[in-house]
Amino acid sequence: MQSIRFSSRMKIYAVLLLVFVLFVPSCKKTSPQSSPDKAKSSNSNAQTATPGTPPSGLVPIPIELPNPMFVGTPQDFKVSNLEKPLGKPRPPFLAPPGTENAAFLKTVAATDDVPIIGEIEMITDGDKQATDGSYVELGPFLQSVTIDFQADYDIYAVLLWHYHQQARVYYDVIVQLADDPDFITNVRTLFNNDSDNSSGLGIGSDMHYVETAEGKLIDAKGARARYVRLYSNGNSSNELNHYIEVEVFGKPAK
Amino acid sequence: MKYPEKCFAFILLAAIAALSLRLPQLDARPMHGDEAVNALRFAELLQKGSYRYDPDEYHGPTLNYLTLLPARFTSARSLSDINELTLRIVPVFFAVLLILLLLMLADGLGQAAAIIAAVLTAVSPAFVFYSRYYIHEMLLVCFTFGAIASAYRYTRNRNFNWAILTGVFLGLMHATKETSVIAFASMLPALLLTLLMMRRTGASVSDTLKKIKPSHLIATIAAAVIVSALLYSSFFKNPHGILDSAASYATYFNRGFGNSVHNHPWYYYLKLLIYSGSPQGPLWSEGLIVFLAAVGFIAALTKKGIAGVNIHLLRFIAFYTAVMTILYSAIPYKTPWCMLSFLHGLILLAAIGAVVLTKLASNVLPRLIICLILIVAGLHLTFQACRAAYTYSADPVNPYVYAHSTADVVTIAGRLEQIARIHPDARNMHIQVICPADDYWPLPWYLRGFTNVGYFRHVDINVPPAPVIIVSANLEDALAEKLYELPPGGRNLYVPLFDRYMQLRPGVYLQTYTTKDLLDTFQHHQP
Repeated sequence: MQSIRFSSRMKIYAVLLLVFVLFVPSCKKTSPQSSPDKAKSSNSNAQTATPGTPPSGLVPIPIELPNPMFVGTPQDFKVSNLEKPLGKPRPPFLAPPGTENAAFLKTVAATDDVPIIGEIEMITDGDKQATDGSYVELGPFLQSVTIDFQADYDIYAVLLWHYHQQARVYYDVIVQLADDPDFITNVRTLFNNDSDNSSGLGIGSDMHYVETAEGKLIDAKGARARYVRLYSNGNSSNELNHYIEVEVFGKPAK
Repeated sequence: MKYPEKCFAFILLAAIAALSLRLPQLDARPMHGDEAVNALRFAELLQKGSYRYDPDEYHGPTLNYLTLLPARFTSARSLSDINELTLRIVPVFFAVLLILLLLMLADGLGQAAAIIAAVLTAVSPAFVFYSRYYIHEMLLVCFTFGAIASAYRYTRNRNFNWAILTGVFLGLMHATKETSVIAFASMLPALLLTLLMMRRTGASVSDTLKKIKPSHLIATIAAAVIVSALLYSSFFKNPHGILDSAASYATYFNRGFGNSVHNHPWYYYLKLLIYSGSPQGPLWSEGLIVFLAAVGFIAALTKKGIAGVNIHLLRFIAFYTAVMTILYSAIPYKTPWCMLSFLHGLILLAAIGAVVLTKLASNVLPRLIICLILIVAGLHLTFQACRAAYTYSADPVNPYVYAHSTADVVTIAGRLEQIARIHPDARNMHIQVICPADDYWPLPWYLRGFTNVGYFRHVDINVPPAPVIIVSANLEDALAEKLYELPPGGRNLYVPLFDRYMQLRPGVYLQTYTTKDLLDTFQHHQP
């Protein structure tokens, strides 16, 4: 059987080539012939705007332009049907006078009785910070929390925060109202962004959204109910479910 | 080092196949933000001849220095002279070298396994995809394997040259990326476990260790330190870079275990390899490699079904890969390209596994069937590799596409080039880019031909508005307020350049405004 030998001469050549590659740049000198245009094209230098031919007697304003700042790897979002950011603070949501947070300190039930982090009660304790100690972490897959207002309310808006310490999108966010704790009677869906019915609760037409400190505000249009249930099915960072706070704005039904 | 001509020919063929999978349309995929950052950092070296290591970001200097080769080859002198090909050819080169390095291990892995490893490296979708990425990963994998292969060769003949080459590769690893420390941390326990298994088989560990000459060991360490120090100190222009390279580990440790947007569950990498899919796209799997690697791992430990190989090398690779996979999975911070380091180990084990499986069959027919299944599975990997590198190269349905720029950035740059042709200042046309948190990459790469581009984090009312403004959708209202509500009057009317929001990345929206006069002039010149 014929064989090929990796000669020691080849090894020497390889090492020499490597040394050459590494040392060549250290010998580089800035070429005095470099054209000003080319030097300017470096984004490492501040640049000066040069407008078109100015009228006589006028000179161009020397505008110092900031260079691009290097940044690390951006966040990955693989989310279809994502809502465009509003680009400004959310406008005030108008509701009848006397509207209050019907969920504040009310009883909460969850499909995950033993949260990984936090307590279920934190969902209605009024603490909306995203820091550790302010959120509850439920297990993976479809999970839900149900809040009992302990009386019928005319609901105008549901405002929820899953987790806003980093930009995330929660999947299969479904918000429903009902008259009974088992969600059998008079169930109304206020929001549903489950685009593929992976929750088994039907396909929704609402868009995915990025969690922010503003929370997600859902218009309930004055629907009367005693219970609200919120579903989610993991998020764009991991498969767990989180809640910082849920507020339900309404007035006691008369 | 001797190896049969057939083995050499097959590995060479695999390298050629790898090249043919990686080289076409190298400039077609839009630049990733990280690639653009690396490109502009390289441009500083190209234009000023200087490099300064930043311990907070952007990794080690080898990528920058090695890119000088293709840049010099194409006579590039400035940022505007380089293109995607100049940059991406560097990882392509090291991807091919990675395959050729298998020649150094052919007698240890066994010829068949070496050939299979070469083929799998050539066609693995992850390897093909990231070989075309101007980032540090492919260089790190190549240098790491170079270190292992050189060290193995040293164990065969105690030749001083191999000791030096091992040191050079170790130094290059360290100077490429801070995550090299994970490779070092995997090599050490792998070596210890291999030695422990040697002792169980009756071999003397102390005799084995005594065969390593202290002078050679010192030479290896010295070579590693010298290479690393040369690069981190920018060839002694920035000696502090050496200290920075050590200090960087605190930063990277905090990032690795801190709260990051890149934190993913422990099974992220394995899931990515075994099964990925979305309702909008095809299914992806490199499960064949994972399955065969599991077979190879068991075979390496039990020594069953393998002959004519260096069992100690196999065991080292098995332990090294296992430890590295565990370490990478345990670190919360995860980006998909990081998995290449242990995926290469999995590929080496998979090659062993494939050989073991074929040898399990005692008769010709079952053996042929197994071979046929492996060939079909290999072709499926190749098909997926093509799909990842070309059809879905920037599409989020591709599991290896991570935080990637959309083709919209190319569209924006193309339209601005057209406008520059009718603007009196041409490429000196004033452009402003306004995005919060400097989230505008890779636009600086695509706007590199324009000499008057200003980058802002927020809308600055003291800066006169440029005739072209690219603004994040988040800041659109603030820009509108500046343009129309704040004094003084007599201002230009601004209109959107595109009839829709453009996306920097999926879900990151941009709007491009121009003065109405400029847009009218532009439209007037359109055929």
